[in-house]
Amino acid sequence: MAKQRMSITVNGDPHELLVSDRQTLLDVIRDQLSLTGTKRGCTTGACGVCTINNEQGEAIFSCLTHALEWDGESITTIEGLESNGELDAMQTAFIEHGALQCGFCTPGVIMSAKAVVNKYPQPTEEQINAGMAGVLCRCTGHIKVKQAIRNDHRIRTRAHKNG
Amino acid sequence: MLLPQHRYLKPASLDNCLAELSKTGESGQIIAGGTDVIFNMRLKLFRPETVISIRRLPELQQVEQLPDGSIRIGASCRLTDLAEHRLIQKRFPALTNSIAAVASQHIRNIGTLGGNICLQTRCWYTNNSEQWRQGKTTCFKTDGDICHVIKSASGCHAINNADTPIALIALSARLTIQKVGSQRELPIAEFYNDDGMDHIKLDPDELVTHVTIPPTEDRVVFLKNASRKGIDFSIGSIAARCDRVGNETANGDRAPKHVMLVLGSLSTAPIVLSRAAEIIKTCGLTDAAIEQAADAVREDLGEVTNLYSRAVYKKQLARVLVKRALKQLRET
Repeated sequence: MAKQRMSITVNGDPHELLVSDRQTLLDVIRDQLSLTGTKRGCTTGACGVCTINNEQGEAIFSCLTHALEWDGESITTIEGLESNGELDAMQTAFIEHGALQCGFCTPGVIMSAKAVVNKYPQPTEEQINAGMAGVLCRCTGHIKVKQAIRNDHRIRTRAHKNG
Repeated sequence: MLLPQHRYLKPASLDNCLAELSKTGESGQIIAGGTDVIFNMRLKLFRPETVISIRRLPELQQVEQLPDGSIRIGASCRLTDLAEHRLIQKRFPALTNSIAAVASQHIRNIGTLGGNICLQTRCWYTNNSEQWRQGKTTCFKTDGDICHVIKSASGCHAINNADTPIALIALSARLTIQKVGSQRELPIAEFYNDDGMDHIKLDPDELVTHVTIPPTEDRVVFLKNASRKGIDFSIGSIAARCDRVGNETANGDRAPKHVMLVLGSLSTAPIVLSRAAEIIKTCGLTDAAIEQAADAVREDLGEVTNLYSRAVYKKQLARVLVKRALKQLRET
């Protein structure tokens, strides 16, 4: 199995890796970097649990992209959201709204939600729907997820005032 | 699950890429976003020896306006960037609609226009894992000699499921196709073969590099039908175009001089509906003519393949899409 050298910044930490050309970005994140927050689901782009953010803060499916394509780039996974032990506003919003049950899809849902608020800090219903399409949650029914996303801005500004 | 064994190359320039492609020939596979290529490699439908990345080739990432007013788009422009491109939104809103209709935001964030144009055909049998497929006799596309979609067929009936090509056909777009030492231009309408296996007219050493869309004042609309529009491949889609000037018809209405109707996702290639267009050209966009045009669609459809829904539903859908598109054209 041929391996190639690649450098990738994950959650702000630079990594130099020896990556097999048979791996997708998801394989590298989970199996080589042991960041198992990002889940492996359908691996065909239908469920959304493998969602991560690229350098511009946009949501992408890590299961549908070749690992070596990401040489020299920077990504954020669910583990990269908290800083200094403090949860991100989106994570707090999900907890406050009970926007998860079994939790398997939650990393993908939160990373997709982050992409929505990165682009539109106070998203409309339509923008939330468009940004969250393709991410499936079998437990919550998506309503609480949408409430949490709408409240992310309020929690963010509250944290900002307190901090 | 690891991808099938292959060698991964990331050429630094278009020339290097074309040189590699000419060396690898049949065993080479171009990858840009990878949303379709990785999917097919996982299902073991693609088993390339070499995968050549064009994702970061600067030559293929530009949108530019040519002196004659045409817009030239590089093949590895991301769908998200194109859907949000002001110039494209202003000049070709139907193209913007078709780009925004492709899959979900996540996939558009890595998927490219070139990738959507060359999208592999899809079928309910082949789009399953290799282990699943082994439970049935293999089909034409998987080295067998039957078609699971249309049992009596002598060839593969996987469908062309891409959204952007039909809008591009309606807009009379041209593709620039390059290989080492030569370059050719081809109207995108002639790019597709009516064959599920060999679905595009592209030699193994060739690469689609640009799409050029000529300026137009015509009205163009794009409509897509899917079970979940936010993510799914379409069950049926349509692009329609007509000019604003028009001729006078026998009963005093105005009828457009040029009409173009293109149906997608209903066959192995996009279908240009010539009979329905002819009716609108003679009678204008009247209610009666639109009904007549919708009735004429059946003749042009041929054998309807049945991914996602039954053929009878798709035939009815084609009728409805034509009616909706023509009514929308009238109001635009």
